[in-house]
Parts: sequence; structure tokens; C-alpha cells
Amino acid sequence: CSGVPIGDLLERAAQHSDKLYSLSTTLTHDLDSHFPPMGRMIMPRPSACHTSSLQTPGDKEQALQVSESELLSLARSLLQAWADPLVVLSSSANTLPHPAQSKIINKIHELQEHSKNLGDGLNIISGKMDPTAQTISSLPYRGGNDVGQDKLSKLIKFQFLLSCFRRDSHKIDSFLKVLRCRAAKTQPHLC
Amino acid sequence: MRNVQELTWLLLLVLTPRTKGGLSRPGKPTLTSCRSPEKETFTCWWQPASDGGLPTTYALYYRKENSEIMYECPDYFTGGENSCFFNKNNTSIWVNYNITVVATNRLGSTFSDSVDVDVVYIVQPNPPENVSLSVMEDKGWPFLRVAWAPPRKADTRSGWITLIYELRIRSEGENEWETHVAGQQKLFNIFSLRSGGLYLVQVRCKPDHGFWSDWSSPSQIRFPEYFHQEKSAWIV
Repeated sequence: CSGVPIGDLLERAAQHSDKLYSLSTTLTHDLDSHFPPMGRMIMPRPSACHTSSLQTPGDKEQALQVSESELLSLARSLLQAWADPLVVLSSSANTLPHPAQSKIINKIHELQEHSKNLGDGLNIISGKMDPTAQTISSLPYRGGNDVGQDKLSKLIKFQFLLSCFRRDSHKIDSFLKVLRCRAAKTQPHLC
Repeated sequence: MRNVQELTWLLLLVLTPRTKGGLSRPGKPTLTSCRSPEKETFTCWWQPASDGGLPTTYALYYRKENSEIMYECPDYFTGGENSCFFNKNNTSIWVNYNITVVATNRLGSTFSDSVDVDVVYIVQPNPPENVSLSVMEDKGWPFLRVAWAPPRKADTRSGWITLIYELRIRSEGENEWETHVAGQQKLFNIFSLRSGGLYLVQVRCKPDHGFWSDWSSPSQIRFPEYFHQEKSAWIV
């Protein structure tokens, strides 16, 4: 891959992150279609997401001030943080009490695959940037290996994790698209 | 029996506060929608209910995720009536805003249901701008070139927002639009148009993650007569 220009790699990465976000959105909507109203009230707040401690830019002005290698490091840290919880989601999806269960299982597998491919791609890109891009903040997932026993807690945990993932994949996608445009300065028609 | 009478009276009061001359607290307002045109600012709108027959004021309050502080709407004017505008300094993304509207008159206050909003999930751009139509020619055959610019507010250059475009064309007198997907391009060529036909064209855009804009206002062009020239070319 060493011969591929970084702009092309970022273009590919942004396509993957775009897909990742779209998948997480349809998944949250699939789950939402069958979510008990009570669940909404007792679902943990977004600040309880295991990635919420990572300091990320909160608006455009802040995001555009962050260096390229730092943006990449943020995207990689977020993606890395989801490796474990995605395994939990994937291995427990077949016990999810939901009419669209098989559709959800397939999408979670797709989600895992896309995150893995994206992670591999970002590793390659980070090797072409300055050392800051190699730094990964550790954001351990301490939510256990299952999603709970009863119907309601399973649905809530799924919905909660996916809502966290949806926000994080939106961040990853936004950072990569900013990076893509910085690399594509020579192709102004794209950005 | 007395209770039934009281209930009836109360219902009358609620349902017809003015005609009965009865005054009451305001009805419950509804937060109808929130929208961000560019992932940098946003506006929320509400629908007032009955004013209870009294002068009623509305206030919007919000609390951001991870904060206990309740703020009042910073700008009731920019977004028009019954709205609150959040400028760049008041807009964060990837953060939930918990928003409530309160209607107040002399007899008391009524709260709307509160709504949780993360700005990244409510992005709907303004329509594309400077839509221009021009007739071009390729080997003697005319075609229509449609060109446009992204909505001014959307910062597509930095990559903060990515827009894709769709255009539609209809000849005068036809009801059906013909739609074309332009992707990220800001230019689209349309071939095989009717000689001398009058055409209307509109363009809209959608962010990478968000909702379609409205259509731009229609642009119009009369396509040139070209069969004549073609025929005479054959005769020659």
C-alpha cells in the first residue's frame, strides 16, 4: 500500500466511516421501532458512554484547529474503544427479544466488519503521518460480557450501546472527512 | 352530582375559555421541530396552545448534557415567531440539549414536553444557490448545462459538511418531473431535450448525514430550435 497517496487512502477511509455511521443509524431506528416507552426513561444518559471521557472538539471551530495527526488519533482511539463492545453486541444479538432480530444480527456483523476494515486502513494512514497519529487513548469498556438477563434490560443495553456508537461513528466520520478535505487541497472540486 | 357539574364547568372553561369569558392558565405548548442548516447553528420552533384569554409570554429553556445549569434562549428574534436561534457560540455538537418551552400568563405557567436534541441529527441545509442554465453544444447538438453553488452557509470546503445534489427538470405543460442524481458535482449536463421546449429546473442538496433541503426556486430556459438546422445539414 505504500505507493497509494494518502489522499486516496483517506477517501477510502471516509467511505467506510460514512457507511459505518449509516449502519448504526439504521440499527438504532430498527431497534427504536420496538422499544418500550419505559426503556427510554431508564436508559443511561449519553455521558455514561464508555468513550465519553475522551476529549473531542465540540464544534467546527474547535475541530478545524486540531492538527491532522491528532484528528486521526481521536478517530483511531474511538474506533479501538468499540472493538470489545461490538463483540458483546454481536455475540448476544441472537438472544435479543426483537421481531427484527435476524436483520439486526446481520447489520451488527456488517458493523464489525466495517470497523475492522476501517481500523486497518487507519493504521496504514497513521504510519504515514507524524508520531502523534500513532497515539491511541485507552477507553476500556467495563460493561461486562453480556447484555443482561431479562427482556427489558437487554433491549435497553442494546439501544444504549448503539446510541453511543452512533454518536462516536459520527465523530469518526466527521474527523475523517475534514482530513480528507485537507489532503485534497489539490482537488478543490471535491471539497 | 355536584362533582359532575364542576367537571362540566371545568371542561367548558378549558374548551371555550374566551366565549364563556372564563380565563385560565395557558394551554400546553408543543416543541415542533429543530433544524441546523450547517452543523454550526440551530433553531427550534414551537406551537403555542390556547393563551387562556390572557396576554401570554413564551420562554424556551435548555440544559446541556453534563451540565446542571439551565439557560434561557439566547435569541428569540432571528428565527422568526415562536422560535429560538442558537448562534455558533451557543451551539455544540455531539451533546444533547434538553429543551422545554414555558407559556406563562397572569394565572400561571404551562410547560411543554421536553425534547432531547443533538445538533448532528437535525441537519437540513438551505437549497443550493446561483442555479444557472446554459445551452451548450456538442458536435452541433445542443444540450443543457445546469450549474449551481452550495448554500452559502454550508462550509463544504473544510469538509465540515459534505453535500450531494439532485436536480429535476420538467417541460412546460408536463406534470412529471424527471429527476437526476448529481452526486457531489455542482454541474450536470442534460441531453435529448425537445427542440424549442420551455424547461423548468430545480436543484436540492442533502448533507452526508441529514435531510434533503427544499428545492431551489425554479429556473427557466427556452431550449433552442435545432431540428431545422439538422435537417438542412442532411439536405446539403
